[in-house]
Amino acid sequence: MITVTINGKKIQLEKPVTILKAASMAGIKIPTLCHHEALESYGGCRLCLVEIEKMPRLQTSCTQYVADGMVVWTETERVVEARKAMLEFLLINHPLDCPYCDKAGECELQDLVVKYGPSTGRFAEGKRTHPESYDDPIIVRNMDRCILCARCVRMCDKVQCASDISITNRSSKSFVEPFSGGRYNCEYCGNCLTVCPVGAIMSRMHKHAYRPWLIEKEVDTVCSFCGVGCSVVLQVRGNSIVRAVPKTGKGLNKGLLCNRGRFGYDYVSSPVRLDSPLIRRDGKLQRATWSEAFIYIAGELKRIKETYGGSSIAGIASGRCTNEDNYVFQKFMRVVLGSNNIDSAAGFAYAPAQKFFERIFGQGVTANSIHGISNSDGILVIGGDPTSVNPVLGLQIRSAHQKNIPVVTIGYMPGLKRFATNRLIPSPFAETALLAALVSELKSKRRLSDEKAAFARDINTIIENIPPVSLNEAGDVCRISPSDINNTVDAISNMTNPSIIIGRDILQRSEGHTNLLLLAALIYLLNGRIYLLSELPNEQGLVDMGCLPDMLPGVRPLAVDSFRRRYDEFFGVEVASEPGMSIVEMIDGANSNKIKALYVMCEDIVFNIPNSRYVKEALSKSELLVVQDIFMTETAQLADVVLPSLSWAEKEGSYTNLERRMQMLKKAVDGKGMEDWQAIAEISRMLGFDMNYRSPKDVMAEIARVSPLHKDIAYDDIVGDGFMWPYKGEPLRHGMSIEGIDIPDAKSLLKISDNDKIYAGMENPLFYSENLSRNSSALSSISPEPYARIGKALATKLSIIDGDYVNISADAGSIELSARVDSDLPENIVLIPNNFGDKGIFNVMNWKINPVIKSFVLDCTEVVIKKIKSAAEEVLA
Amino acid sequence: MLNERVVIEINRIKSKYHDAQSSLLPALYVVQREYGWLSPDAVAAVGDVLNVPRTTVKGVATFYSMFRHKPMGRHLIQLCTNVACMIMGAERLVDILKTRYGLEPNSTTDDGRFSLVVMECIGACATAPAMLVDTDFYDNLTEERIADILENYK
Ligand code: SF4
Ligand code: SF4
Ligand code: SF4
Ligand code: FES
Repeated sequence: MITVTINGKKIQLEKPVTILKAASMAGIKIPTLCHHEALESYGGCRLCLVEIEKMPRLQTSCTQYVADGMVVWTETERVVEARKAMLEFLLINHPLDCPYCDKAGECELQDLVVKYGPSTGRFAEGKRTHPESYDDPIIVRNMDRCILCARCVRMCDKVQCASDISITNRSSKSFVEPFSGGRYNCEYCGNCLTVCPVGAIMSRMHKHAYRPWLIEKEVDTVCSFCGVGCSVVLQVRGNSIVRAVPKTGKGLNKGLLCNRGRFGYDYVSSPVRLDSPLIRRDGKLQRATWSEAFIYIAGELKRIKETYGGSSIAGIASGRCTNEDNYVFQKFMRVVLGSNNIDSAAGFAYAPAQKFFERIFGQGVTANSIHGISNSDGILVIGGDPTSVNPVLGLQIRSAHQKNIPVVTIGYMPGLKRFATNRLIPSPFAETALLAALVSELKSKRRLSDEKAAFARDINTIIENIPPVSLNEAGDVCRISPSDINNTVDAISNMTNPSIIIGRDILQRSEGHTNLLLLAALIYLLNGRIYLLSELPNEQGLVDMGCLPDMLPGVRPLAVDSFRRRYDEFFGVEVASEPGMSIVEMIDGANSNKIKALYVMCEDIVFNIPNSRYVKEALSKSELLVVQDIFMTETAQLADVVLPSLSWAEKEGSYTNLERRMQMLKKAVDGKGMEDWQAIAEISRMLGFDMNYRSPKDVMAEIARVSPLHKDIAYDDIVGDGFMWPYKGEPLRHGMSIEGIDIPDAKSLLKISDNDKIYAGMENPLFYSENLSRNSSALSSISPEPYARIGKALATKLSIIDGDYVNISADAGSIELSARVDSDLPENIVLIPNNFGDKGIFNVMNWKINPVIKSFVLDCTEVVIKKIKSAAEEVLA
Repeated sequence: MLNERVVIEINRIKSKYHDAQSSLLPALYVVQREYGWLSPDAVAAVGDVLNVPRTTVKGVATFYSMFRHKPMGRHLIQLCTNVACMIMGAERLVDILKTRYGLEPNSTTDDGRFSLVVMECIGACATAPAMLVDTDFYDNLTEERIADILENYK
């Protein structure tokens, strides 16, 4: 036990901490500037000086650890004088342009100078000057104000691990700068501006548009962009969001955000938001009242159901909507319209992957804490770059790497390039052979324990029967040296409880189902914890609410009689036992006239499904297309009726993140649309089925009764960073059945892609998030130009350099965009993001359905690349 | 960007240290010796070879005054003008360089022969004024002596 006395107060401590920490535990505040709770101590500003008895000189309390018997004084005359002097030094270069500076009112320097500072400085020489930098679209730098606390640099270096800024030059000439000296060209997470104590690095989004004391309310909510579910505070004035800020140290993101969560909120106030229901009349979508729209929809649905039956109607739910919206949606489809044709974008990869793993390992097997990643003894990442799909989760991997935890990445992952101990980049779509080789090798290195065998039923049998693949065979197919694979085998075979992070690319292959099986084998052999990357904030909620063609709320299989009967009894209807169509089947169904009506809630299927032309054609064949959305999306443009929804900041409800953590959205501003569940309830009522909910809270009360998984959850219990699975309900703990899982044959494990062909692949974009980012002027300003990423070897072969314009064509269509050359990308693939309307990948990419897991197969698009204009010519033009 | 010899040398240096960051200074020296200065591209390339973020390399490279961030002449004169040297006539020497070679502080002669940087103390106060030409040290400078010395550097 250590006893220290601070300002006469005795404090007992178990283990040594800094004086600063000890003081704060005792409620004594010591002023600081360079210290920040998210960062390690630095000892740079010397504001935290304290006097320690028996030590001749003042000490910085943020770096000095307590020792037993230490007597510390934090506010003696000597200390106060020293602080005053430190502040006077800082003001030598600081411009004191507070009246003009957005930080005034929440500036740590200003506050300290008011408290301790000299009223005038004695330094008469000129100040260091830098022009304010507007090189970046969303961040503004004013280096006159910088006090060189290095908080931003340490944040970027040690926490974001992007290392994009540093202190340049030395002593009084130093300032903070990115490599270019101009634009950041970084990840634009904005975490540097969270920690800047002064107005040196600030968001440009609200420059001169507010003063901190004019903020009227702060709303604690959850980010609307991805499945991580970061806590974010919306600061509101009048009916507009002034800014989105993280809560320091709070939420599962612990005060960090990514570019989308911090800057992307402006889509809420986009001028192109829908504000009125629209009905197609004379071929054109025209304004209508809500009741006209409801009557129209109800009438048409009734007609179609009576004429063709419920199974001719399909519904697409949304991972951007709340659990309550989605629950009501599936109920409407199943109970009111009599259709199991319910799916969503989760059906592209997330849901099939989760279903597969739960089938083998039992429910909740993917519900793992994101913080567990940096505490595991190894990490394996495959199928997508977490630092762009789920950026704040990606930081866990970078942080693990800093702690010397081995990180194995399989696939092209630029965001983890510096953070991987073993980096394997197989030739396009060849991961299957690599996974099979890893399984073969591990099988001989790891003995399967009986205890584990009981947990995962029969998987032993499967693993034993997977045909062996040697390192050489895999190396040939993947074009990776067998010794690199062998090193990876060594690295992973030492892991005892690794985090296995899986992205959607690995599923969207012809061998997607085989990849899943091989991954399950690996997970089992390694005793791994599964994390599924999730692109939507409530993708898990879609699954849990039963927005799947074959699952009821609580992820109870429709095919199991007892589950279905329970559901039937609750609603007094009989739900068909056959599974409905998956989202991909629905498109084909519309095209072949099997689907007559499509009800789409906040999902832009034309934009989000490859081969946009085909999707459009299919949709236009349906007799009724209803779209609820906040924007006039490509899908809404084809609709017969469009209903304006409310955005995430305008409504309440719960989201479930990829850890299966339930968190609450809180309403920050008023919008012009209607909550999605409410619009559906209105239509339902017109169809003769009353849904008498007054609020999402009522919906949640029903969910808690219908879904065994959510048993006894009360809406009001979901506070703060919510709670994680298994809630209070009844999870299905054990794997269900492996019956019908086919063991792959050796041939399907060793498919060689044709080296002469070039394939189109999808880029995982950090700055984009479908419709939301397209409608956020902040996000779309970061990287506004469509591009194709091309490997160095291919680029050289075609004499393409960075910035050249290329034409990329395939059967589905062709696009022209600029090239970005990257030496890490394999030769026969070109990656294109899908975020540029008619210049996105889905204009050229085609798809098939994987008959086993019913997800997309996207590895089938061969493209031809031609250089059309060099970068230099473009500049001249 | 960097020629093969330099890359090999940097990799050799890298192998001597426990972490890549420690090899930064020696690696930057190698580049500067080869090219005379550290261009932004060279700084970035050092980062790439060492797998250290380029911005970190820039921070280090701009911290130390012995690294040059502009192309320099064939010979670099580092002349001290701090107190001791100033009292002993260093400013006069600056004038001479200006009149004789057209060489202003922080510039390079038109023929690319000399660059001049004025320094804050090179630790030779007792024998001031003093200067370095490339890596050679000269003290007790006078107008004649500086002219003679520089004749040896073509
Ligand atoms: S925005 Fe993020 S990545 Fe960019 S400099 Fe700041 S901390 Fe680094
Ligand atoms: S920019 Fe801000 S955070 Fe960075 S060193 Fe300067 S004052 Fe500190
Ligand atoms: S990581 Fe995901 S949830 Fe977090 S701020 Fe970024 S987009 Fe939002
Ligand atoms: S807070 Fe301790 S030195 Fe800055």
